[in-house]
Amino acid sequence: MKKLNRRDFMKLTAGSGCALAAGLGSSQSAFAGSLKLQAGGKDFSPATGKERQAIPTACWQCVTRDSMIGYVEDGRLVKLEGHPDSIRTLGKLCAKGQAGINQVYFPDRILHPMKRVGKRGEHKWKRVSWDEALDLIVSKLKPLRDAGTPELFMYQYGRHKASQAATMYDFMQAYGTGTIGNHTSVCEAAKWVGQESLWGGMYDNWDYDNTDYVVIFGSNQFETHTNHIPTSQRLIRAKVDRGVPLYVFDVRLTNTAAKADQWVPIKVGHDGLVMLAMCNVIMNEKLYRKDHFKFMRVTADYKASVADKITAVTNNVAKYTPEFAEKHSGVPADTIRNIARGFAKAKSACLVTYRGTVMHYHGADQERAAMLLSAITNNLDRPGGRVMGVGAGWKSPSSPRAKVHKTLHVKDGFPGEAAYPTHHVSHQVLPLIKDGHAGRPKVYWWSCYNPGFINGDNKELQAIMQDESIIPFLISTTIVYDESSQYADLILPDVTYLERWDWEDMVSANQIAEFYIRQPLVKPLGESRCQGDVWPELAKRMGFELAYSSKEDFVRQSCEMTPGVREAGGFEYMKKHGVWHDPDAKPNYGFYETKVDISGDGVILDDKTGVYWNWKKAGVDSQAQAKSQGYLNTKGAKKAYIAQNIDGTAYLAYPPNTKFVKAGYLDFYSDNFANKGLPAFPTYTPIPEHQKMADDELNLTTYKVAVHTHSRTAHCKWLTEIKHDNPGWINTKTAAARGIKNGDKIKVYNDMGEITTTAYVTEGIIPGVIAISHHLGRKHSGVYGSGQTSPTSGGAAADPDVKNIWWKKHGTHPNTIIPNASDPISGTQRWMDTVVRVAKV
Amino acid sequence: MGTDWNIVAVNAKSRSDIYAMLALVFRQEPSEALIEELRGPRLSGAFSEIGLELGDSFYNESVSTIADQLALEFSRLFIGPGPHISAHESIFTEVDGDTGGLWGAKTVAVKKFIETTGLDYASGFTGLPDHISVELEFMQKLTLWEADKWRQRDRMGAEYCLSIQRMFLQQHIQGWVPKFCNAVIAEAEFPFYRELAELTKFFLGLEEQSLATETAA
Amino acid sequence: MSDNKTPDINRRKFLSGVSAAAAGTAALATPRVSLEAAQSKAPRWVMVMDLRRCIGCRACTVACKSENNVSLGRFRAVIQEKTMGSFPNTKKAFLPLMCNHCEGNEKDGVPPCVKACPEFPGKRAKFKTADGKTIRYRTGATYKRPDGMILIDKEKCIGCGKCIDACPYGVRSFDPFVKAGGDPSKQAADKCDLCAHRVDNGVEPSCVNTCQGRARIFGDLNDPNSEVSKLVKAHNLAKADNVLLADEGTNPHVFYIDPDNILKSLYTKRKKGKLDHFVDQIP
Repeated sequence: MKKLNRRDFMKLTAGSGCALAAGLGSSQSAFAGSLKLQAGGKDFSPATGKERQAIPTACWQCVTRDSMIGYVEDGRLVKLEGHPDSIRTLGKLCAKGQAGINQVYFPDRILHPMKRVGKRGEHKWKRVSWDEALDLIVSKLKPLRDAGTPELFMYQYGRHKASQAATMYDFMQAYGTGTIGNHTSVCEAAKWVGQESLWGGMYDNWDYDNTDYVVIFGSNQFETHTNHIPTSQRLIRAKVDRGVPLYVFDVRLTNTAAKADQWVPIKVGHDGLVMLAMCNVIMNEKLYRKDHFKFMRVTADYKASVADKITAVTNNVAKYTPEFAEKHSGVPADTIRNIARGFAKAKSACLVTYRGTVMHYHGADQERAAMLLSAITNNLDRPGGRVMGVGAGWKSPSSPRAKVHKTLHVKDGFPGEAAYPTHHVSHQVLPLIKDGHAGRPKVYWWSCYNPGFINGDNKELQAIMQDESIIPFLISTTIVYDESSQYADLILPDVTYLERWDWEDMVSANQIAEFYIRQPLVKPLGESRCQGDVWPELAKRMGFELAYSSKEDFVRQSCEMTPGVREAGGFEYMKKHGVWHDPDAKPNYGFYETKVDISGDGVILDDKTGVYWNWKKAGVDSQAQAKSQGYLNTKGAKKAYIAQNIDGTAYLAYPPNTKFVKAGYLDFYSDNFANKGLPAFPTYTPIPEHQKMADDELNLTTYKVAVHTHSRTAHCKWLTEIKHDNPGWINTKTAAARGIKNGDKIKVYNDMGEITTTAYVTEGIIPGVIAISHHLGRKHSGVYGSGQTSPTSGGAAADPDVKNIWWKKHGTHPNTIIPNASDPISGTQRWMDTVVRVAKV
Repeated sequence: MGTDWNIVAVNAKSRSDIYAMLALVFRQEPSEALIEELRGPRLSGAFSEIGLELGDSFYNESVSTIADQLALEFSRLFIGPGPHISAHESIFTEVDGDTGGLWGAKTVAVKKFIETTGLDYASGFTGLPDHISVELEFMQKLTLWEADKWRQRDRMGAEYCLSIQRMFLQQHIQGWVPKFCNAVIAEAEFPFYRELAELTKFFLGLEEQSLATETAA
Repeated sequence: MSDNKTPDINRRKFLSGVSAAAAGTAALATPRVSLEAAQSKAPRWVMVMDLRRCIGCRACTVACKSENNVSLGRFRAVIQEKTMGSFPNTKKAFLPLMCNHCEGNEKDGVPPCVKACPEFPGKRAKFKTADGKTIRYRTGATYKRPDGMILIDKEKCIGCGKCIDACPYGVRSFDPFVKAGGDPSKQAADKCDLCAHRVDNGVEPSCVNTCQGRARIFGDLNDPNSEVSKLVKAHNLAKADNVLLADEGTNPHVFYIDPDNILKSLYTKRKKGKLDHFVDQIP
């Protein structure tokens, strides 16, 4: 361009400006109204006064979903703090919650619908309008529905809970697909399956406010936990204020272990064995409590006496002597004895387990061992013990169900892979689709999920997504470009949790349900849109109506429908206060002891199991037929369960409210398991891969730290600043044997491939293990997440804080060398079973 | 001292038209109509006279091809996903340690500035309040208002408006748009955005000069 | 409450205290604590860190970043952690660190950072106590307010960095985004100000508000009934073992409840001229 002067510019506009401004500009104006300038000589001064608001809402960084207050200044979110009125969180918020602001305003956020124009993975995109995007989606989904094959539309989500899940399931019901995937198998499925086989569809909580003794296996409560803020503050308070003993079994010296009376290092995969050895001590030393035995079933016999059961449990755990456990687990026999005695003698005691315990081969059975230990000491659903989680029970509107409703069977793993995948096998969804025997969806839409990063074998899963011949159309709803959305055909800009409506229901730590909501603190940025607002719009375009017009409407209706909330003032009350609980509610304990009226029409006693059930409700033709085929042989009978006859009393006991067909007992002897060749009684089953390890091989374990979620916080600069590198924790001796010193560059490798990181040589991990956290090593996720400096200077690179990024490392991702492999019981991803070699580079 | 009211009015109107054009260019992917206009007889001559080289293909390819090309270029440069040049003042500036985010303190300042003049953001507008096209369109509105005042022989009104223009240019536009333009010039694949970024930078530089030295343009 | 205001108050978001009056919030109990100042004399704001309760969760670190828009590369509040002992008897401990808001040595009552500030003593200022009594004090670019807060006036700061060097705890750094008002070619010094903008409005500091372990207890040491006074008394915290670097004679006013001797085993004094230990990073 020439060096221009003012006159040159005037040429530009000679006679043309009008056409430009009038013909093209007006329809796209950013403004409404007209200038109202004062014509006098008065100084112009933009308003400087600040309007502040405090708005109650809820977090979503992790599944804990704390109630909080958002402080908004001039339409801009400036601070988040815990909600002081919440009985769950008591006004506290964690590091991730505090960094929630970063989620809304990080510079790489996706703000518009984007359509792929290059090849998958070529990163070529074109902005499209929402109209165009929705039309495109309808052009894919409507034909599938019209052709009677709605199941060929698959939806998979990472974090959808409460009304975010409810609105989605409602739409899918109305559309007709049951091909809906989740992410629970990479999270904790084995824990739930183990529990469901015993006490039904429960979520355990630990009554720290009342407990007298705490033993934790493989759970890092103080850094990161499924119900972190409500539970961990109560635990540290119990410890310091009341001197409650705390023992932590872990491979690694976690923050939780650091605050314990004792960190008990334990070899990978032996938590269940040590628990069984504790049972052994308790049974042999007669430290058990009889109270819960009558609700337990420990042999094939449904009618065994308590004395028989005590003998049977004693016999079943006889082989797990503390010495036997020491040999395999590395935990000294005396330590096991001491903790077992303390646990059994305490007035009440909590046994806590999480991923370290259950993300293994037979992980579900390890959870059963934890339940056994709790049951024989009468610490199940008792004050101070391992209790049944209590969450809010919302009512919500539902839309008419589609006439054709089908499911593609790609959710539960390969044939024979998992016996009870009641929470599905999400990490095998893409491999199964590739396999094709169960069919392939034509449209695959994922949301708040990053399958190419959070599952095992990232390379293979990403290759499946990249291959257009496997799934022809991919949709990703996300706030950030990531390892999966890079292969999408259409990216939809999601709202952050700070810009949307929800009702929420996460469990309380004090056994009283808390109802709470999430409301937008600010208007959705750019063109981002909540999935709950997309569903009604999509439905309309496909010719059916949903029972709600927007997410806000869904939440409003739910507030007016839900008993308690409605009487308190419904939606308006919740908007103003954010939280509600029944002030007269009593903490929920021991519902298994509830005595049940069995006089109802159609209720009969099953001779074999002692179950009272309603044959009419079960859909059986006659009482005679019901009697002859029996409770266990009647399909649908568990839905007609009424009570369990125990010594002549009808107790509610533990109803079979999951996919497990069982009586009302805690099924420590499980026909379900026995029939599938799985251990009928909690058993120590060595992890196959670990039995044939060469001398120089190590166990790889992964973990979370306090400042990151698995995959959705890397772009939060305040968090990544604190944790941006993930060196491999390795014991001093293990490192020395390989000539590795602290800070050395190392490679971690196996048949799957190789990752490199640095060695963190420490006395804080058991020998024979390398532990690497699993948040980092991002390929995308913005400049803060991946550290990839922009090929275009500008954008995030123009961010003034980018030049202050002082860290050079961006970590590595262990999931690339961990295969997708399932626990044969639950279908849980076996994160902790991988075998690797480690060498200095 | 005689004022040729008509000349100063036309002058203001011309500046307004340039702001309008630039606002359009950065608002969104160019429509075929805009491309036709830009390479039409009324502008192509002026472009070539000032040495604005939009490239042969811009004039020769079919309008739909150009529209497709520029839509991709627009997304790649200004929207993402992935690294891009975010066209927002708050990304390029820092206030009180609040940095590098969308909807920052500067965004609020722009919004308040604009709203103080009586304008509102249109309900259908989904961009952020400190997007480059918003700031340019705001200048378009101001200069148009100024032109009206000259036409009405309201010197005080016109000069008052000029002072607001000066303030906005100094407090907001010139603090970041030149940096933004430099990034575009460095990264654009096609001449279109590179040349128009050059044009924008030069134009704003002239504006700043003349607003600083003259009362009446 | 007093009407004392920090000089750069408008730079901040003072949230909870003000928000109670804002629209839609009347019904909310704001996270306000009772920060009643002692009558007639100024309060003496102090922090008690109960190390038994610190679980190393970093909520304080991030809350501080958010509350004060602390740029990348520096922190006003950090957690140090250290693994000690040998396997299997390994221990790990956490130590929250921040500005100690030192009283200064007994002779002149001026902490080293204030002493080092070329702009101190500057103009006189008035501090009003709860019952309306006026206390006069000297300001500076770094100065001590009568309620014990060590504050920075960035408008007066000349960016010389002498206070940064003078602080034995290394809690000070240059703010890359704020120019020193006294010499705009340099950057202003920055550090923890106990969230003066919140405290002046009757709200506890952000790190205290978010601390789930309740390891951080903030309050007025001049009020014998305050929780901090009771804790200082009950745990005998005024003795040298319960503050950092007692030998320096700085008379710190961040007290640690430390039955496990974490201060001794964990805390390392900054090396002269080095600030890099005041960064929070999880291994």
